[in-house]
Amino acid sequence: MSVDTMPDRDAQIRRDRRGRILRTIVTRGGAYAILLGFAAIMLFPFVFMVASALKTPEDTFRYPPKVLPRSPSVAEIDGEDVELFALPTSEGTREVFLAESGIEAGLFVNPNDPEATLAWPLALASDTGTTATVEGEALPVFSIDGPTGTVELALQRNTSVGRFVATDDPDVVTFAVVRTAARAEAVDPQWQNFSEIIELRNFDRSLTNTILVTILVVGGTLFTSIMGGYAFSRVQFPGRDKIFVAYIGSIMIPFIVLIVPLFRLMVSLGWVNTLGSLVWPFLFNAYGTFLMRQFFVSIPKDLEEAAFIDGAKRWRILWGIFVPLSWPAIATLATFMFLYAWNSFIWPLVSINLGNPDDFVLTLALQTLGGQAGESPNLLFAAIVLSVTVPFLVFAFAQRYFVENVATSGIK
Amino acid sequence: MTAAIGEAPVLGTDADPRWFAPLLVWRGIVAVALAALTLGAVVQRGLVLDGPIRWVLVAALAGATAAAVMALLWTRRRDHRGRVTGFALDGLIGVIAAFIALNRMDIFTGLDAVGDEFNGSASWLLLIVLGWLVSGFADRTGTNAEFVKTAARYTMLVGLAVLLLTMNLLAGILEFVQRAVGTEVIAFTAVAIVAFTFTKILWGDRAAALFNTNQSQAETLEGLLFVAPNALGFLTFFAGPLVVSLFISFTEWDGLTDAVFVGFQHYADLLSDDLFLRSLRNILVFGVIAIPAAVVPALLLAALLNSKLPGMRVFRAIYFLPSIAGVVGVTLIWKQLFNSTVGFLNYAILQVTDFFNGLFGSGLTAPQPQWISDSNIALFSVIILFAWQTIGFNTVLFLAGMQGIDGGLYEAADIDGASPWVRFRRITVPLLKPTTVFVVATTTILALQLFNEPFILQSPAPPAGPGNSTLTPVVYLYQNAFQQFQIGYASAVAWALFILIFGVTLLYFRRQGEDGVLTA
Repeated sequence: MSVDTMPDRDAQIRRDRRGRILRTIVTRGGAYAILLGFAAIMLFPFVFMVASALKTPEDTFRYPPKVLPRSPSVAEIDGEDVELFALPTSEGTREVFLAESGIEAGLFVNPNDPEATLAWPLALASDTGTTATVEGEALPVFSIDGPTGTVELALQRNTSVGRFVATDDPDVVTFAVVRTAARAEAVDPQWQNFSEIIELRNFDRSLTNTILVTILVVGGTLFTSIMGGYAFSRVQFPGRDKIFVAYIGSIMIPFIVLIVPLFRLMVSLGWVNTLGSLVWPFLFNAYGTFLMRQFFVSIPKDLEEAAFIDGAKRWRILWGIFVPLSWPAIATLATFMFLYAWNSFIWPLVSINLGNPDDFVLTLALQTLGGQAGESPNLLFAAIVLSVTVPFLVFAFAQRYFVENVATSGIK
Repeated sequence: MTAAIGEAPVLGTDADPRWFAPLLVWRGIVAVALAALTLGAVVQRGLVLDGPIRWVLVAALAGATAAAVMALLWTRRRDHRGRVTGFALDGLIGVIAAFIALNRMDIFTGLDAVGDEFNGSASWLLLIVLGWLVSGFADRTGTNAEFVKTAARYTMLVGLAVLLLTMNLLAGILEFVQRAVGTEVIAFTAVAIVAFTFTKILWGDRAAALFNTNQSQAETLEGLLFVAPNALGFLTFFAGPLVVSLFISFTEWDGLTDAVFVGFQHYADLLSDDLFLRSLRNILVFGVIAIPAAVVPALLLAALLNSKLPGMRVFRAIYFLPSIAGVVGVTLIWKQLFNSTVGFLNYAILQVTDFFNGLFGSGLTAPQPQWISDSNIALFSVIILFAWQTIGFNTVLFLAGMQGIDGGLYEAADIDGASPWVRFRRITVPLLKPTTVFVVATTTILALQLFNEPFILQSPAPPAGPGNSTLTPVVYLYQNAFQQFQIGYASAVAWALFILIFGVTLLYFRRQGEDGVLTA
């Protein structure tokens, strides 16, 4: 290794390192850009949902659409509520109100840019005596002391304008055609939408029903799954494993095959149009039994053998030893069942539908509201916000179990 | 048979407990009663239940009768099988009798009344939740943990007590007692009590001794008891309806008059039913576009999330939101976004087109499709919605698969100077194949059952959409079963779809090998 090659190699290493850092920055930047892009796509509908829930009905039909809820600004001038406008003045765009209307005015046009027009009182424009040709027409040119300073514009035709005065400074005055003047708007969330929707069309009742059904389905499924999972993992009886395979094989059968006969069964039992039809058939879940069984199998046998010697019965061993140890599996199953019960749609649609609005669950209430929301989508969105808030809150607290649920089963 | 009786110990010996003679009588009554019920179900037309369900009932009753007769013989011989069979039969009879009694008392539908009262007092539930949360965090409060825990427990108790009181629990119990007065209810309650009494006796140690039960036979009984809730629910609300469903699919039935057996007629009709074929075509088109759209971006996102850069958990959580938000709410949000005049989607298209026109001076006109009501695009709207909903879920699945890949492989590739793309192509994709097959299979099964999205997007118009463009097999099933009351035909549609889904599942297992689900 000769002495004079050393600086060369150092430089090479430095260049390599710089290249690698650059490459890292580029690839990481690209990765974050893609991730952020998808995050925006995933989040936008929810942002839109919350914003729309806070809008006025007219605001939801605005074009071009705006995300944030806005409503026209109103101010009290001389004891009266008047609409405010946002117009360019000599002091920049200001909030102004209409002080006088019907002023004789001209519609002036910039000879160099026929798209740029300005409506201004004729009394305040002074004729320069020259003419300009706009679109083949010779028009008289006026000098105007307008909001953007003194300009020379050609008079196209006559019109009438209103005089607008700034709310905070009576000396700031501007003119505009009243009909097309831009209204002043402010971001103005309509929080009362939420109280309105709760009082409207039994929505609170639907919320209660969903909570009730969800609690019962989650609790009941946990109970049966823990019992079944224990039997299939720890109690020996003839044909046990064959029964287990057949039972979890039923996971593959889609619910839609059952929907017709299950509905007939509900008819026979007299459960149609009752909340019971949403609860009792759904307390038994092959997937839940499978999940609990898989977890119980992994619990070391020594633990219960010691308890057996103490003379403890199986029932006590299950609830005293197995259940406390199985908290992760139970939480996973609970989150899964929660989502299932909270969001189920097709079965309530069939078994309750329009028969009895008192027994609507949230999904049905939303769907009905969606069909009627022609005139007030804001209330519909307030309802949607309420319906997704609970799953989101549960998700925030139990994120780990949601992800675990997906990772262990992949069942939706 | 005579030999068997001759071998049996004489009745009424001192060794027999007092309940043995009544048990034998009860066994006899049960066998006779079940036989009579079976006969009655065969002879009497239009029993309490619908036509096809009746035949399932007959089969079940015949099986039960056989079991009851065997139980009687075994019990006489003090065969341990008599104990197990009798235990199962009595338990079952008790449950069914109790069920009928409770159903006659409108207990199961009484949930509605609970809903009424619950509505006024549900806010007390918050107190219970609060107590639960506090007790969960109690351990972090250090020295005061015990005190905080106790306080939280009392908060929960108070919440529950007030909840029950405000729900008019007392009035409810009174109402319950009033309904219990009635011959039928009393009769069924009595049967249930007798059956449960014998169940309990057979469970006891003396019965075990009498029937010479050994350890493993005793365990069988316990197994039955623990499996019972699942088994009963499964038979009543799953296996039974499944068999009935298959049966119905071979009949012509409107749900009111008697079903007429038509054999494979419905299945033959399906093959030439334009609407059904249209629904299959729709679902095929949907699947061909929607499945890659829901899987490929998920794979890419998972690869990026797997890079262990800061903030990945946040992204993962965000991507997961659409799959937990609930299909109804989400679809209604998108319905507004799809709005052709004031919706954000068309507005965004307009903005992007304007931006391009400004940039390149091109004169493109922005397309402003009528997303939901245009028969050419309606299905495509559903695809967008479906992909948006499913990508995050699939991402998490892929991520779980990727975390199982040996990190050493990536390090080795790094040393060889492989680019991220090469690592993704040569390591991640091939090793992720099992996960990919699983994701594609579950997404396919989900796609084949498409119903909610078109139903809600099109509502209040019919879910089939403009020109049947969003008619899916499940939508077709729904229309047939619950709007046109062609229940037999609807069941045939259900089974045809089931066969399709089953085919996908089989394909999945063939790809995956048999070791997927059943590994203990």
